[in-house]
Amino acid sequence: MRLPVGVKVAIVAIVVMGSYSGYANYIPQIESKPPQELSLEGGNVTPAQLIKAGDEIYKTKGTCEICHKIGQKGTRAPDLAGVGARAAKAKPGMTAKAYLIESLINPNAVIVEGYPPIMPAVDKPPIALNRSEVWALTAFLQAQGGTVDVALNDIPATVGAGGGGGGAAAAAVTMPGDAKVGKTIYMGKGGCLACHKAKDIPGTPVGPDLSQIAKIQTPDYIMKKILDPKGMGTVAGFPPGVMPQTFGQTLTAKEYTDLVAFMLTLK
Amino acid sequence: MVGAGLVLAGVALLVTALPAFAQEAAREPAYRNFPWIGSRLAVWAVAQLHLNFAAFILGVPIFAVIIEIIGWRTRDPRYDWLSHEFVKLTFAAFSTTALLGALLLFLFVGYYPKFWTYMTSIFFPTYWVYALLFFAETFTVYLWYYGWDWLSGSRKWIHVSLGVLSNLFGTAILFLANSWVTFMVSPAGVDESGALKGGVWAAINNYAWMPINIHRLIANIVFGGTIAAAYAAFRFLGARTDEERARYDWMGYIGNFVALSAFIVLPFAGYYLGREIYAFNQTMGITMMGGFMSWLWIIQAILIGVLFIGSNYYLWLGMERIPGSERYRKYVPPMLIILAIGFMVWATPRSMVVTLDEARAMGGTHHPILGFLGVMSAKNTAVNLMILTTFLSFVLYRRANRVSQKPWVKTGMAVQWAVIALAAVIVTFYGVYGYFVESLVRIGFSVYQVVAVLAAIVIVMAIDIPMFKGARSTGVIRWGTIAPRSQYVLIILAVTFTWLMGLMGFARSGIRQHWHVYGVLRDTSAEAVTPALGYAANVISVVTLVFFALVMFIFWLGGLSEKGKAGAHGHVAPAIAGGSEDHG
Repeated sequence: MRLPVGVKVAIVAIVVMGSYSGYANYIPQIESKPPQELSLEGGNVTPAQLIKAGDEIYKTKGTCEICHKIGQKGTRAPDLAGVGARAAKAKPGMTAKAYLIESLINPNAVIVEGYPPIMPAVDKPPIALNRSEVWALTAFLQAQGGTVDVALNDIPATVGAGGGGGGAAAAAVTMPGDAKVGKTIYMGKGGCLACHKAKDIPGTPVGPDLSQIAKIQTPDYIMKKILDPKGMGTVAGFPPGVMPQTFGQTLTAKEYTDLVAFMLTLK
Repeated sequence: MVGAGLVLAGVALLVTALPAFAQEAAREPAYRNFPWIGSRLAVWAVAQLHLNFAAFILGVPIFAVIIEIIGWRTRDPRYDWLSHEFVKLTFAAFSTTALLGALLLFLFVGYYPKFWTYMTSIFFPTYWVYALLFFAETFTVYLWYYGWDWLSGSRKWIHVSLGVLSNLFGTAILFLANSWVTFMVSPAGVDESGALKGGVWAAINNYAWMPINIHRLIANIVFGGTIAAAYAAFRFLGARTDEERARYDWMGYIGNFVALSAFIVLPFAGYYLGREIYAFNQTMGITMMGGFMSWLWIIQAILIGVLFIGSNYYLWLGMERIPGSERYRKYVPPMLIILAIGFMVWATPRSMVVTLDEARAMGGTHHPILGFLGVMSAKNTAVNLMILTTFLSFVLYRRANRVSQKPWVKTGMAVQWAVIALAAVIVTFYGVYGYFVESLVRIGFSVYQVVAVLAAIVIVMAIDIPMFKGARSTGVIRWGTIAPRSQYVLIILAVTFTWLMGLMGFARSGIRQHWHVYGVLRDTSAEAVTPALGYAANVISVVTLVFFALVMFIFWLGGLSEKGKAGAHGHVAPAIAGGSEDHG
């Protein structure tokens, strides 16, 4: 039977488009979800929790890591290793925390020599960190070689007052995360059990057994390792580069916090 | 008196009712939900369809008027007929474009009222200009189309002027609509609260506006060319006589030639757009190229690879119908090799999709050798060499049945080859050198590569045109004898470019992430998530399918009036050489 031209053309068009769609469905599927809000005001927060929250903001909502590295010279922005100590001497008459806060909310006030003035104010859209988040981020930066002494009152009350007209429809995340939820992420969305055993959760031994990870590693290491497995190195005896580098994009801030909370129970 | 009293009463009623209206407006929700598919998908589908039709009706007249001018100056009726055919296609799609535009507006007003109120607060003065331009363009195109016979002969210059004028109005409409879209990506001229600081011009002239204007203008020509070529291919495949086949073979060739000529410079316009997005906001630029969207560019590379290889393949098949082209066949295999390697390099991702075992065997998700091909240095080199090769294909096609009679032909050809070789060396040198410098320096190298390729194109053509002026012909092109598979290539090119437009629309919209207007108006709807590529591709495919179904229906409707009439609108289709034995 001879097919009409219209049918043949339609078949060709559908096959071509089907191939493109098929390929697009085959590659990694990454959604971009709106960031969640962190609220620490009115709560009892220890410096360690503050630094931990700041570390998370540094790598996720704050998008700092896009340009700033810690322990590595960046092409777009300075290395932040030791910035907590350097900040005290950066501007005469200004304390380390005051300098860091100024750098975050008014980044063009002082430009480090050799770098372009491209940093956006972190409390303004599109990053739009709120007051709590700027506080946590400042604490994290102070912790890079300095002493953490920043208080919520040091952050101007006007910080984060904007926010993009629509107002954020975000869920509040309490610190620390929910370990119970974190366990479901470990076994589900995170897919950690595909390579790691953790106490009663069986896992293929592609990567190290995490049953006592909180006993043998610091919270800081665990948090960094999830977001930047390559940068944190590979445990001896295991193949390098296998652990996905994409958890910073695939997990939401809450899922990440919950997962870390669960990992910290593995002692 | 009674009338004046009524007016006064009406005004009084309006004034007293205004606070009530204001309260009502304040209670209006920020979003409404479109039934079944959701508001976002409804807006996405209609916007993409509207854009496809708008690109077609704005792109085709640009080259239709150029073809008409060629026919007018050379007194060759074939070009006048072809130009009329192209405008006929545009004309049939005109009202559908307007209907889809109106539908899109209703969706915004109804389902995204807060967003639309904000956009109106910025761009209200431009709405009037847009409406006036639309009127002006509509009437000019009507006059251009219906006045084809009336304004012929000594009045042809008036007709051509109408074509030029309709293009100017069309371009102005495009630029104005682009200002709204680009403001959403790179807002300017507003304060922290999002309010307009000065005049509306500052909001129009934002970072992405001019790059998008240029990119879309060129892309519309490519798109119009591919759709017109696909239409011709469809008619070719269904043709019953040799003459008809010859006519639509020629039309398909012209459509593809137009598309290819514009397509060669399109990547450069893309670079300019990318650079301006980085200039506006580094974070946005990095998110676009290296963040959650990084895989989108691999898909784009595959589509562009298909377009390059398809266009070249069509030219090579076309050379088969040109007596004298045999002497250039030897160049086809090396050109195919360069295109295939370029395609593979461009489509190689930095991080592979691999199984766990494969990842362990490779020592990571980056392949130890192929991983080096996943970076911009390799990709820029590949695309520039592909552009250069495509240009070479075109040059060979152009001179296929011509032998230059100029005494300096040997020198001219030697210089041409040297220029092409030098451009290839410059492109490759900076591609390799790029691996040894920092990213900021590497980005600058792409400019040298682009300049080398563009300079080569200009120099080679500057020599070629005088060199083949008055050349000896080795035979007449046998239009209509091209292999039927070439026509499927034209259809694949049209489908691929339409799909690519959908993908780029997703990229432009997706880089705003959870913002309606980046950094100014946040998307707080339940659908603020930017979907993954698989979902986006499915939407693009379905909308593209609907677009082609509508196009076929509209073209069929447009052709109904001419059924049974030879030479409708007084336009007798001219015979094309090779179309029948008489003209062979």
